[in-house]
Amino acid sequence: MTTTAATTTPADLTDPAGGTDADLAVRATGLHRTFDGREVLAGIDLDIRRGEFVALLGRSGSGKSTLLRAMAGLDPDFSGRLLVPERRSVVFQDHRLQPWKRVLDNVVLGLPRAGARAAGLTALDEVGLAERARDWPVTLSGGEAQRAALARALVRDPELLLLDEPFGALDALTRIRMHALLRELCGRHRPAVLLVTHDVDEAVALADRVFVLTDGRLGTAHSTGRPGLREELLAELGVVATPLPAAQPG
Amino acid sequence: MATTAAPPATTGPAPRQPSAASRLIDASTLSRPRRSWVPLPHWLRRLAGPALVVVVWQLLGTFGEINQQILATPSQVLSAGWQLTKDGELGSNLLASLQRVGFGLLIGVTVGTLLAVVAGLFRLGEELVDSTMQIVRSLPVLGLMPLVIIWFGVGEAPKIALVAFASACPVYINTYAGIRGVDNRLVESGRVVGLGQFGLIRHVILPGAVPGFLVGLRFALTSAWLVIIIAEQLNATSGIGYLMNQAQAWYRTDIIVLGLLIYGLLGLLADAAVRLLERRLLVWRHGFNGA
Repeated sequence: MTTTAATTTPADLTDPAGGTDADLAVRATGLHRTFDGREVLAGIDLDIRRGEFVALLGRSGSGKSTLLRAMAGLDPDFSGRLLVPERRSVVFQDHRLQPWKRVLDNVVLGLPRAGARAAGLTALDEVGLAERARDWPVTLSGGEAQRAALARALVRDPELLLLDEPFGALDALTRIRMHALLRELCGRHRPAVLLVTHDVDEAVALADRVFVLTDGRLGTAHSTGRPGLREELLAELGVVATPLPAAQPG
Repeated sequence: MATTAAPPATTGPAPRQPSAASRLIDASTLSRPRRSWVPLPHWLRRLAGPALVVVVWQLLGTFGEINQQILATPSQVLSAGWQLTKDGELGSNLLASLQRVGFGLLIGVTVGTLLAVVAGLFRLGEELVDSTMQIVRSLPVLGLMPLVIIWFGVGEAPKIALVAFASACPVYINTYAGIRGVDNRLVESGRVVGLGQFGLIRHVILPGAVPGFLVGLRFALTSAWLVIIIAEQLNATSGIGYLMNQAQAWYRTDIIVLGLLIYGLLGLLADAAVRLLERRLLVWRHGFNGA
């Protein structure tokens, strides 16, 4: 297996081949992954700088979640070289709170006990759920559960935050609120972020750089903040661009 | 099917004429609320059925329609119960039965749970334990009686062994299924927050198996009572089953019915106990936050 066991301390995030770059949070070089002979990742090269927000767009089955799972340490079977920081957090599309643990216990699960509860309460406060700390996950609404999952990710002070379509199951209004919350929290904590999504508008609204993943290959990087990007990305995804929702009547 | 459907008079819906608007009606009158015939609480009305059976049974006995040697009347059952309680006979026999079931359950539930954890968590455990348990559970418990008597004699041990055997199987099956049924997404989420193997077992897998365990416990209680009834009637010198067996020799149908009644009550109590346990252990399912 050519996998590089890839947890390193910040200072060690170096690639002997490519030289030292203390500024990097992720370095993927020649990443491959096959499922039953089907090549899902066909050679991915990707650098993410510290504090940078990268969005990965792709149709379902394009391999974007596979790439994220490799970075999360949930997939031991990829090949290639992948360097990631030690403190990583993941927010999945479903909240994945342990239903038998109260909200706060979920947030601090896996943390060393000392000081964990205070940190957990602070994190819950940041996502506006402080008063739900003692509640059971089953009593939370979809948006609240996802905010709790966000708190669980942030309390670990991640250097790399991996978001796997975290807002995909939420209603449109809640999603807009979550975008604002995420932007605010990322502005404060400055983790490197990889957001996997199929929502072009979400990617454009949140990320610094956007990539499109097609058949296991990354397209060129698009910096956000310039007009016409949305249409370009849609075209790259194979969709005929439609006018912005705001321009539509009704 | 020879229905003669009327052909549509026009093609497509006819444009609605701006006819005289009908009057608005109160929507609350459209569906009638369910009204009960008798203004009594629900539980009281549910009790009425069994109570009626008991009254008819008592009347049939009192007027000589039922031979006492066939079936004693409810009042006779009650007085037999009173008599045996005064003698202390009922108490000592009840205690004997309770002890057998208690010990048997303790052993059976413990063994069943331990085996399920071993088989559920470890590949080797699964290979060794699960196939064995699948074979063992297909054995009829009561068919083991002759063997158990040869092994343990006729004292307390064979009865406890039978109860243990009968309760271990359902606990094993359901706890094992519970462990294997834990949502893999929750395991992943536990792994992502940095739980090790031990932490995953403690915080994710075992809590996730509790609902299955409780289902198994319920089955175990039912079969434990079933087994003890038979075991005590075949060879015993104490216990409710023994009492009933003695009564049979003297055609004391009142004592036999009394024994049945006690078994029924004990079954109900056991069920209530598990339900209480469920309420405490599975609060997270309903999210009740009080107390």
